[in-house]
Amino acid sequence: MRKLLTLIFTAALAVACAGSPTPAPTAAPLTHVKLAMGYIPDIQFAPFYVAEAKGYFAEQGIEIEFVTMFENDAVPLVGANELQFANVSAEQIIQARAQGLPVVYVMKWWEQYPVAIASKAELGIKTPADLAGRKVGLPGLYGASYIGWQALLNAEGLPDDAAQLESIGFTQAEAISAGTVDAAVVYANNEPVKLAAAGEQLNVIVVADYAQLASNGLVTNEQTIKFHPELVKGMITAALKGLADTIANPDEAVQLSLKHIDPAPDAAIARKVLDASIEMWKTDSPGVSDKARWEVTHAVLLDMGLITSPIDLEQAFTNEFVKP
Amino acid sequence: MAVANPLNTPIPSEPNFKPRSLRAHRLLLLPVSLAVMLLVWQSAIWINGFPAFILPPPARVWQRMIIALSDGTLLRHTAITLSESLGGLAVGLAVAAALGYLLARSRTVERLLAPYIVASQSVPVVAIAPLLIIWFGSGLTSKVLICALIVFFPVLINVIVGVRSVEPDLRDLMRTLRANRWQLFFHLELPAAMPMLLGGLKIGATLSVIGAVVGEFVGPNNGLGSLITAARNQFDTALVFVAVIALIAIAMGMYGTVALLEKILLAWKD
Repeated sequence: MRKLLTLIFTAALAVACAGSPTPAPTAAPLTHVKLAMGYIPDIQFAPFYVAEAKGYFAEQGIEIEFVTMFENDAVPLVGANELQFANVSAEQIIQARAQGLPVVYVMKWWEQYPVAIASKAELGIKTPADLAGRKVGLPGLYGASYIGWQALLNAEGLPDDAAQLESIGFTQAEAISAGTVDAAVVYANNEPVKLAAAGEQLNVIVVADYAQLASNGLVTNEQTIKFHPELVKGMITAALKGLADTIANPDEAVQLSLKHIDPAPDAAIARKVLDASIEMWKTDSPGVSDKARWEVTHAVLLDMGLITSPIDLEQAFTNEFVKP
Repeated sequence: MAVANPLNTPIPSEPNFKPRSLRAHRLLLLPVSLAVMLLVWQSAIWINGFPAFILPPPARVWQRMIIALSDGTLLRHTAITLSESLGGLAVGLAVAAALGYLLARSRTVERLLAPYIVASQSVPVVAIAPLLIIWFGSGLTSKVLICALIVFFPVLINVIVGVRSVEPDLRDLMRTLRANRWQLFFHLELPAAMPMLLGGLKIGATLSVIGAVVGEFVGPNNGLGSLITAARNQFDTALVFVAVIALIAIAMGMYGTVALLEKILLAWKD
């Protein structure tokens, strides 16, 4: 009987408390956002790691989660609104829009298109013209590498068959080292830095020195822009603050980024990759897309037959959220 | 087993009618199951409202297939994948059959090599495929080798089991008939191992197609694997489906050919 009375008293107390008109004050809940980034965690995503570590996303009411996958898997997910944001290259957005995906590029991140042609210094390949008749390796006849290669040929007026192309997958560094190709299409901030650290003397032809293409940036979908513009603005604000901090203090950026990268890379090489990346991020107009570059990229894709008819570029990117 | 007709009376027509009816029903099974599959596919789109870049409707895939066939894209890539698969199957079969026979006949060789062969199977081909591309280039050789590596193990195991399945009494009988080593091989071991060998070949035929695609994903010069990669990169999901259907057709064709071969070579068993 005593136990029963205690039980009734406890239950009555619980009901009374539940009905209390003065709940404890709580902070507004954060919006959980998944951000897709290309392939694997890497020091190149430092601006986002920094923004997370310094609470820039939380300041905007965002609880960020980084997910890694291939760009061409992320874009359909963003298009279907299964994901709301991804870091993707501009040419993917043009190709995606050509297939009816409602994806929109909302923030420029990379000022320069990072694709380059690397070769051993002893081969003397210093200009695009020197590539004539050479065997050039690239991951495949698709993606940023292939588009960068074609843009370089177009910019220099070289024929499509100027060099012998060979698809070698993502084995460019090994192929250059082993000499199985004369040159390989690489990312200027990645393979050349790692090969140089391993003692290779290289010549690097950076596509951005010859052709101005639109590069990587933050992408969302039309639905998110329409119904959650504040979320888009918040993501961009946090990312741009992270980018500015990374450029200003690369040492700190490396330290804050390493916890996201498993296995942890060699910190010295990571710093060199970051330094090379920072050179390609520096800009006078953070986040703002240049229409002329989108038009060049669009023209290259049309020329290559990767899109069969022109698309409305005004719908592919917007500067609405990065206006000062 | 045949059942005698004790009354010596004509067998009623029902048994004759039934098989014909069953045959007709069986002939209908494939088109009906295909129609059901297409209906489920289309219904998934209607119910979930999937856009075409996530799941293209069957009609759209069909239209894309017509385009890919008419411009030669599909046949060109299919021919390359088929040649890689057949080459890999031939190399894998030859090496596995020779080594399998040795392992089956010699316990010493088995003890020496078996641990390495088993260990090699724990290495994912997709992990060593980039190395094969580096060592042998991104052409036909590396793709054939990747296919052969995948085909090798199931054929090897089946050959070993097949050769060891020979009755010792039959072997003794052949010896008493003064059969030499070649006669023993051609008249006893090979026919006895043939059912198992062909069973392994059936598995190998389908795995070989997977090997070719793995190679084409890693070093995408040409072939259906590279077509899938390129189509995914252009968000042309209908073309991805077309390439996958072509891969299924290759695998089914190779499997069917081995099944036909089995019917011909093992006709003596019936």
